Amino acid sequence: MVVAGNGAFLDSTGATVCSSVESDRLNQMLVLLRRDMVDVAVIGAGQTKYGNHQLGLKGMWAEAAEKAFASVDKNFDPRQVDEAFIGSVAFGGGQLGNTAALLTEHSGMEGVAVRRVENACASSGFALRDAWMAIKSGQADIVVAGGIEKMNDLSPERKRFWLGVSGDTEWERLAGLTFPGTYALMARRHFHEHQSSHDDLVHISVKNHMHGFENEQAHLRKQVSFEKAASGFMVADPLTLYDCCPTSDGASCVILAADHIVRQFTDDPVWVRSSGAGSDRLALHDRPSITQLVATQKASKSAYSAAGITARDVDLAEVHDCFTIAEMIATEDLGFAESGQGGLFARNGEGIRNEGSVCLNPSGGLKSKGHPLGATGTGQAVEVFKQLRGSVESERQVRDAEIGITHNVGGSGATCAVHVFGRDRNE
Amino acid sequence: MSETTEWKGYLLSLSKGSLLLQSPYIHDGSPVYGPDSDSTTMAVAGIQFLHAQGQKFTAIRLPLSVDAQVVYMSTSVDSPQRNEELDEDNVDWHLIDGEEATLVLSQSDDEQYEFDEPSGTELIDDDLFKDMNAAWEHECSPQHVSQGAYVSQSQYYEGGAARLSLASQNFAGKTIWPPRQMDASGTRLPPEDAFLADAATVESWTKLSAAGAPSEFSLRAPILGGVQTVLVKFEEGPRGVFLVCDDVNYSPRIGDKVHFGVRRIYAQEGLIRYGLKAIPRLN
Repeated sequence: MVVAGNGAFLDSTGATVCSSVESDRLNQMLVLLRRDMVDVAVIGAGQTKYGNHQLGLKGMWAEAAEKAFASVDKNFDPRQVDEAFIGSVAFGGGQLGNTAALLTEHSGMEGVAVRRVENACASSGFALRDAWMAIKSGQADIVVAGGIEKMNDLSPERKRFWLGVSGDTEWERLAGLTFPGTYALMARRHFHEHQSSHDDLVHISVKNHMHGFENEQAHLRKQVSFEKAASGFMVADPLTLYDCCPTSDGASCVILAADHIVRQFTDDPVWVRSSGAGSDRLALHDRPSITQLVATQKASKSAYSAAGITARDVDLAEVHDCFTIAEMIATEDLGFAESGQGGLFARNGEGIRNEGSVCLNPSGGLKSKGHPLGATGTGQAVEVFKQLRGSVESERQVRDAEIGITHNVGGSGATCAVHVFGRDRNE
Repeated sequence: MSETTEWKGYLLSLSKGSLLLQSPYIHDGSPVYGPDSDSTTMAVAGIQFLHAQGQKFTAIRLPLSVDAQVVYMSTSVDSPQRNEELDEDNVDWHLIDGEEATLVLSQSDDEQYEFDEPSGTELIDDDLFKDMNAAWEHECSPQHVSQGAYVSQSQYYEGGAARLSLASQNFAGKTIWPPRQMDASGTRLPPEDAFLADAATVESWTKLSAAGAPSEFSLRAPILGGVQTVLVKFEEGPRGVFLVCDDVNYSPRIGDKVHFGVRRIYAQEGLIRYGLKAIPRLN
């Protein structure tokens, strides 16, 4: 079979098998077929502990990568990696350019095609999506997705500058808003529209601290009482210190492989059943509603549909709770509660490990595990990978977990990536 | 005897066609500017008042203490200081910088002005006054390197009319503010051709602690005990977020009606950025 100059397919006698128009369609079908045929699995995943690190960027990344490599059950060599996507805001600006090349250079992946992915706090959620797409497209077989952030080596004033660079600079920031402020506006409006209350947020804080207490990788490993969480220092009215995640240093790394080589590395893969993503207007005031995140709704709808599941099928979810109100709204946008019922969901104790239909933030979430911006998305995937393989600390294990999701949001909801993971491949 | 009117946070008295503007704050027996005011913000308020009274004019002479560009972006009133090609014969109005925090708007610059002491003044806390002055002085000095968001001068001026006078776009039956380049279908939108009414309703609000406020407010937020922001909906439909004007005296509530006054926001590279701040309508 040969292809003629006009794109038509010809047989060995020169006769036209299909016209150029038909061959275009055939090519499109082949691309779609191949995309549907290639499944992607997580074969390894690791992270640093989140918190205040003495290590710098290179040291943290090397540690996370080393743990990910070591978690692969057999025969992994980092020189096999075809592509790498590393999420980072490059907080502090110390290595704003070519961050990813520096990191792969220091983790046995020298020479690999690599790039930094930046989508604010959703940077590595999108790095994971890019890595998944690289394999789905057939261009790569083994791809690393990771993330990193070093946040605690800056002066308080410089840190506040960087904490505000991912919101709407021209309007929101000059109205005095950083993310605690934008999420506080959402919270107060949610209280007003849906009869929710700060007590509902306190339940979320208490739950996530309880989950994170047993997590050796968590930044804030301490349980808090309802009374203590309800009376914290006011950061952005109505959000208190116990509604806000900490600023953390940390790195996380996930290794993905195409289905045809997965068994070379493990007999116990976790399948990435789908990837969904969406975006929304950057500024809160430009959105029709501030009590829902359209980007989350789009991303989850797309991911659930591609995986052939509904929210009721999800056993555990790593949810982007940069502030407790973010988890409450996500509970609704991800379909675990009806619109406006996120407060009731929290009040009723839903989301607690092994007590409700779904466990929200078994790792402790951003609230307790920590939030090293660029590392958070793939850090969520590390938790889901371990939960689905039954390899977390026994007291933290979500029982009979078959399907888990990650939900990674950029800023106040301008970007969002949702991934569905399963013990089984898509049917 | 002239009657005192409160207007956008300032005290105004009319006498023989001239307008006295005075800050309501008193320190050591003299009027002083409040935490986010200066002669530019009060000049804008005075011009807006005269326009609201039907005294329309398009040009004015300004003292050097007033930022002519901000006056133009806020009121569309030009000045020889900003526009050298302005026909001087068309400049009938003068703004005269009085002693302390007072200004006079007049159609003559060679008269002695007699005004009664305005009513409605209030004492400003001594520490607040001194600390805010010191903070602004430090922030405005060329040596100060702000860690604030980098809203460059060109970006600031590009959005100036929308920021300072609520200039908005009308397209397909909708009012758009702040200005957008394209609509959701990719259609290029026309430039601003209208102004939002000076009226909005609070839909949400917050008060950020000094520790949570953006770094461009790091010198002043601790003095004020944080910064207050309201999210409002304008009567025409668009929403916006605004700091609260002189925010030491107001606790917002959802449903409150507000209007807006030009105030200082922050300074960077020696340039004070001005913007609108929300003022509660108390009646």
